[in-house]
Amino acid sequence: MSATQPARILRLVKSGPELRALEAGQVDAVLDRATGTAHLLPEAERALSAAGGPIVNSLLAALPREDYRSLLGELEPVTLTSGEVLHEPGERIRHVYFPNDAQVSLLIVMADRKALEVGLVGREGMVGIALALRAEASAVRVQVQGSGSALRMNAASFREALGRSLPLQHELLRYAYAKLIQARQTAACNRFHQIEGRLACWLLMTRDRVRSDRFYLTHEVLATTLGIRRVGVTNAATTLQRRKLISYQRGNIRILDGKGLSAASCGCYDIVRNLAS
Amino acid sequence: MRAKKAKSSRSGPAVTAVVVMRLYIADAAPNSIKAIANLEAICKEHLPGAFKLEIIDVLEFPLRALADGILVTPSLAKVSPSPAAKIIGNLSDRSNVLHALGIKV
Repeated sequence: MSATQPARILRLVKSGPELRALEAGQVDAVLDRATGTAHLLPEAERALSAAGGPIVNSLLAALPREDYRSLLGELEPVTLTSGEVLHEPGERIRHVYFPNDAQVSLLIVMADRKALEVGLVGREGMVGIALALRAEASAVRVQVQGSGSALRMNAASFREALGRSLPLQHELLRYAYAKLIQARQTAACNRFHQIEGRLACWLLMTRDRVRSDRFYLTHEVLATTLGIRRVGVTNAATTLQRRKLISYQRGNIRILDGKGLSAASCGCYDIVRNLAS
Repeated sequence: MRAKKAKSSRSGPAVTAVVVMRLYIADAAPNSIKAIANLEAICKEHLPGAFKLEIIDVLEFPLRALADGILVTPSLAKVSPSPAAKIIGNLSDRSNVLHALGIKV
């Protein structure tokens, strides 16, 4: 197998249906009679080298290799930038996203424009699960919180893929159920638990998604996430910092003591993790 | 890497003579994957239990493909029943594929 320049490939395919397919972008490789070898086109070469790399998103990684490969032709690598809005509530979902190292917030926006985070999606999940549940539109605002990469697929291709892959259906239903558990628990958590415990819980969930003890979150994001005022975030973060569980400087968060933070959390973190796994 | 893979389906009722085909692909490159998916859908709908498909990865068996007169992938060769036919590309033009395979809709 070798990468070949298009000019050289064009010399191998001079006319006929082969040339027409090549010009239509429907060819992956060209055979060379002179050398008895097959030459991959650059685009096919790129796709195969991407496919050979580690699968970062957990939902995709859980699929049998054949099912994953059947999705590859439709998955497009994209970079998501912090602040970018992927879906607005009520809007038709055009793409689904499988984040790698990007982190995405699901927000409910109230009539007075106040927003509350009701979900978090990272490498463990997907954005646009509504499509897998036969809904057309997003119920929430979906906004990128941590820049990073993701794979996206257009809605039509996703529906087709879902129709032909039973493992993909199972994996996404399992994920949707996990999100349902999380939403129920969060509803109770928001009503009954103290801010400090909720902050600890949320920091642990973020750590799991970014797979790092260090991440960046502003006061504003944390206030939106927890549905509280910024001063409430400051007080709770200061308490956790004083107990040497985290360090927090200008949005740079570092978890110093994961076990201690888990003990300080409201307990919803463990419940969601155990039930959803 | 996809190895040479033979696949046959004979369980359903025989609606016509078994159509024998060879599909030449390049590993899991995008057009090759599409060609497999498109062909599987066509076979399921129009040739249930009446086809035999061999998938040949040209990255692994380039000489075999060249000997069969293949120049690019994906290419589908209908071996039998006659007349033999060859379809180039990712098989997304369904009516063209059905015509080449001699399937009347």
